[in-house]
This record gives sequence, C-alpha cells and structure tokens, in this order.
Amino acid sequence: MEAHAKTAHYADAGSEPGEKGLKKDAIGFLDGLIIGIASTAPAYSLAAVLAIVVVLVGVQAPAVMLASFVPMFLIASAFFYLNRADPDCGTNFSWITRAIGPSAGWVGGWAVCTTGIIVVGSLAQVAVYYSFDLLGLDYLRDSRLWETVFTIGVIGLMTLICVLGTELSAMVQRVMILAQVGALLLFAAVALIKVAGGDAPAGSIDPELSWFSPFAVDSASILVLGLLSGVFIYWGWESAVNLNEETEDSTTAPGLAAVVSTVVLLVTYVATTTAVVAFAGLDRVAEYEDDPGLFGAIAPDVLGNGLDWLVVLAIITSALSSTQTTILPGSRTALSMARQGAFPAMLGRVHPRFLTPHVSTIVTGALSAVWFAILFNVSENFLFDSLTALSLMIAFYYALTGIACTIYYRRELTKSVKNFLFIGLGPTVGAGILAYLFVKAIDEYRQTDQSYTGNELFGIAIPVVLGVGLLILGVVLMLTWRATGHESFFGRKREVVDPDVAAGRKAGVAAVPEEAV
Amino acid sequence: MGTIVLGYDGSTGADAALEEALLLAKQFDDRLVVCFGVAPPGNVGEEYKEHMQAVEELAQGATAKALERARSEGVDAEVALVRERAAPALVDLAAERDARFIVVGSHGEGPIRGALLGSVPHKLMQLSRTPVVVVPARD
Repeated sequence: MEAHAKTAHYADAGSEPGEKGLKKDAIGFLDGLIIGIASTAPAYSLAAVLAIVVVLVGVQAPAVMLASFVPMFLIASAFFYLNRADPDCGTNFSWITRAIGPSAGWVGGWAVCTTGIIVVGSLAQVAVYYSFDLLGLDYLRDSRLWETVFTIGVIGLMTLICVLGTELSAMVQRVMILAQVGALLLFAAVALIKVAGGDAPAGSIDPELSWFSPFAVDSASILVLGLLSGVFIYWGWESAVNLNEETEDSTTAPGLAAVVSTVVLLVTYVATTTAVVAFAGLDRVAEYEDDPGLFGAIAPDVLGNGLDWLVVLAIITSALSSTQTTILPGSRTALSMARQGAFPAMLGRVHPRFLTPHVSTIVTGALSAVWFAILFNVSENFLFDSLTALSLMIAFYYALTGIACTIYYRRELTKSVKNFLFIGLGPTVGAGILAYLFVKAIDEYRQTDQSYTGNELFGIAIPVVLGVGLLILGVVLMLTWRATGHESFFGRKREVVDPDVAAGRKAGVAAVPEEAV
Repeated sequence: MGTIVLGYDGSTGADAALEEALLLAKQFDDRLVVCFGVAPPGNVGEEYKEHMQAVEELAQGATAKALERARSEGVDAEVALVRERAAPALVDLAAERDARFIVVGSHGEGPIRGALLGSVPHKLMQLSRTPVVVVPARD
C-alpha cells in the first residue's frame, strides 16, 4: 500500500486524480452494455464453437447455450463480491491469493495467463480464415502453410496493437459491437423465416421446443462435453458485472447494463444457434467441426450474396477487437504477479511511452505464435483441441474463484439470507458445477478420445494433454519458484474480508489479516 | 504570475521541452506544472489498479527528475499526475489552471509514424484551447 501513500502525497502537491483512483470519465449505461457484450465477443465465439457444440449434442445445441450460462451466472456473483472487496483489481490471481493462499493464487494467475496465450492463436486464426473468405482467396484459405504464415502475422500485429495501447474511439467501438449483434440477429431472423416459409435448402429442420431442453440430450456425458464448450462462449461475461465502481450511477446503471447485456447475449446465442441448426441441418453443420467456416458457408444462402459479407465482417471485427479485451487482462495479471514477486520482475515492466506492460505482452504474443504454429500443424482439429483445452482451464480458474469468494467472505455468510445465497451458495454451486465439468470431461476424453477427435498424444486425447498438462506445468513452476525463495510473496498470510466492506458501508481495499478478526 | 504546463515523460524529447519551458517560466516569472497522464490504456477492470500503480511509480520517477531540475534553476515548480491519457490530461490541466502555454516535446516522427504511435502534439493541436509550444528533440 506504499504506492497509495505516495499518490496521496502527490495529490497534495496539486494533482487531480479522482476519488479512490477511479477514472475521471465514469462509464454510463450504454458503455456498460457495450463492455458486457464486447468482452465475450459473440460473433467470434459462435464462429469458433457452434459447429463443435452441434456435433456433440445435435439439435439440443440451443439448450446447451442456455444451460452453460447457469454456472457462469453463479460465478459472476463471486466476481461481483470479490470486486467489491478489492475493486479495479478484478483478477483471480489477487483474490485467490488473499482468500486461499499464495500457492493457489499463483496457479490461478498462471491459468489466466496461459488461457490468454491459447486464445490469441484462435482469435487470429478465425480472423485470417474469414478475411480470406471475404476476399475470395480460397487458395490461401485452404492452404495450411499460408494460414499459418498469415495467422502468425496477425498475432504479431495484435501484439503490437496491445503494446502500443491503441484504442479505438468509444464511438467506433459502440458501432462495431452493435453492428456485430445486429448482423447476427438479422442472420438468425432471416434464416428462421426462410425455414418457416419452406425456403430453406434441403436438409433444413423445423425447430421444436425440445431443442431448448438440456434434459433432451442423449447422454449425460455428451451434455457435459457440450456444457464445457459453452463455458467458452460466456468467458469474459463477468466484466459486465465488474463495472459497478466506475459507473455514473452506481446503483442502477451498471446493474441494468449487466442485465440487458446478458439478455442480449443469451438471445443472440440461442437465436443464432437455433437458426443455424434449423436452416442448415445437422449434416451440413457437422462438416465444419474442423474449421470456423460455418457462417461463411451458410450466410450466402441465408442473406443472399448481397448481404452475406455483413456476417463475415462481424466475425472478423469481433475476433480482432477482442484482442485488447483478452490480451490485456492476461498481460496485466503477469504484471501484477511480477510486481508482487510471483513472476520474474522483468514481466512487471511498463513501457515509458505507451504505459503498457510491454514485456509481458510481447512474451504472451511470442508464446501464442509458437503455440499456434506447433498445434495447428500437429493437431488434426486445431480449433476443437485448443478450445477444449481452453474451456478446461477456464473451468478450473473460475471454479477456484468461486471457492475463493465463499472462503474470503466466510464470516459474513450467516449475516443475511442474501449473503448466504449470493456470496456463499451461488459461487459454491457454480464452482461445484465447473469442477464437475472439469473432472467429468477429462474422464470422458480419456475413455472415449477415439470417437471425438481420434487425435491423441501419449495415448491421451490432445485437449486433456494440453489443458491438464498446462495446469500441471503451472504447479511444477509454482513449486520451483517457491523453492527458490521469493518469501515476500509465498510468505503472505491469508486474509478475510473486512466486515464493513462486506456490508457495503465502506469501499475496498480492505482486507484484514486472518488472525486479527 | 501565470502557469506553464509541461508534458513530461522522461524521454529525450521531453528533456528538450523541459529546458524550453524553464526558459519561458523565467521569462514570464511563471509557475511550472510538470504533468504526466497516468491512465493506462484498456478500459476494462482486470488488474487495472495494479497497472495504474506501476504507471504512477514510473511517472513519479520521471517527474521527480524534472522537478529537481526546475528547482535547481530557481523556478517555482510542482508535479501533477493526472489520471487520464497524455493529451486529455494536458488539455484539462491547462484549462483548469488557466495556463499560458502547454509545452511538449516531439519525438521527431513523421506524420504516419506519429499517427500510428499516437502523437501527443498532434492531438493537442486539435484539442487544446491553450497555446501549445512543441519543442523538437535535440540530437
């Protein structure tokens, strides 16, 4: 907290930082809504995941989109309350360190950083694939070599953008996000109208109510794998509920923005999924399990050749614009870990001109490129393998966050029914669901890897090797780091929330050492 | 006594601007406010605070140097860390203090490079209602 004291000293000397270090221009309802939608990148998420989910669960894909929101919703409650205790610092690393301890916090932070590394490759690949599609460069699109070359180029460009800290103006962002959702909803509406009017091509299916019931999925183990993929599409959604402190009207605007952005997201996901399954039929969707090209192939049939580029453009802008909302948190976590002595100090450097954590960003970009180049050329189904590995890791650190919330607030849980439900029960149940998905999915892939991808390493399905392997690597690195000193971090005591902060009477930060309470 | 606002980040260009600003401050017998915009890029919450603390430490290190230099020249000076990006920080601070000038250094970049990297002098020329003095870096 030394830095705070210094800031105060400078504030006396005449600087004008806002109260509690919040940014001067507060975030209004529309911005809250935009951030809530942008942080999940709906068009990119759908392009990446939809075919995989349909191959797994068939016509119940819309049900999986709905059901996988449940654990996300419960975990978001944990994010909300942890953010209240430690505002503007919303990551799993700091929270888990405070609540569960430095070793668990380290592994949680590691998971955040590595998911960043994995997702950058996938973002870039989707952007490259659809750019070739839009420009009609089928030759390049279907060449593994050129796709690798261009994707690495895009990773480089995205890393550069993040190092420079370039931001689109708020206006451009708003237009892009709203256009993205608009294009998807237009696509869904036209597709469903065509299906209803009998204008859809052969193979189309009329939607039924049972599509929306997760209980209609053939087997529980298939549902587990579908839900795990669903975790990916809502990844980042918690940002929407984390804006409370910065919003103009803290009591209603952010809450309303979070609710509205959630409804918009759910409607977009469910409507688009239903539309794709109904319009194209299962067989056609299944052809795209291996690449993100589903929308590019169906859009011309749905919207005609005049408007299909809208959907393709939405996916490209979605993949590119979510760079900053995904790389930055990852590199900030690395920065935070470095500054607290959990990572090499080098990663905590800030560029003097661009003010970005340039070292950790470049390391993330370089590792992403290496990761992509290897996996894309080794794996028969890059998208499936990397997204499944990603979902496993997200489930892991979200579950850890949910538990951290309950532990951090454990002395407050019995003070009111609301506390018990939203701080105790909700996050714990959410963490339980995610932990179950994590374990069960690993088990499924271990037993039945052949039937899903037929792609394995050391006799184990690739996603499990990647997802679990990276977590085990994290534990090994953590133990190594701990064994080589770094007492300032690993010697930290666990904390519990300050009762006044928990009750909302006082703003965080604020924790008290465990034994003091 | 008026006020001169200096944009200072510790770079070579900024050092040239500091010297010019000291000259102007002595000329007009003005007070020098050494300004550093400390808002890190990226508006979404995660670890924002930690990032900003890192930026503030950087800013304190850089501006302390300028403050010392100004005082050694006998110029009345203070430091202002403003939680905004560089250009709006300077514009707002200058407006608030009713400053005579904003003084900034240029990195000596061409218009394209400047546009790509984000040129503070370019932004000031469009945003500022206070006269802007742009000082080229000496080699």
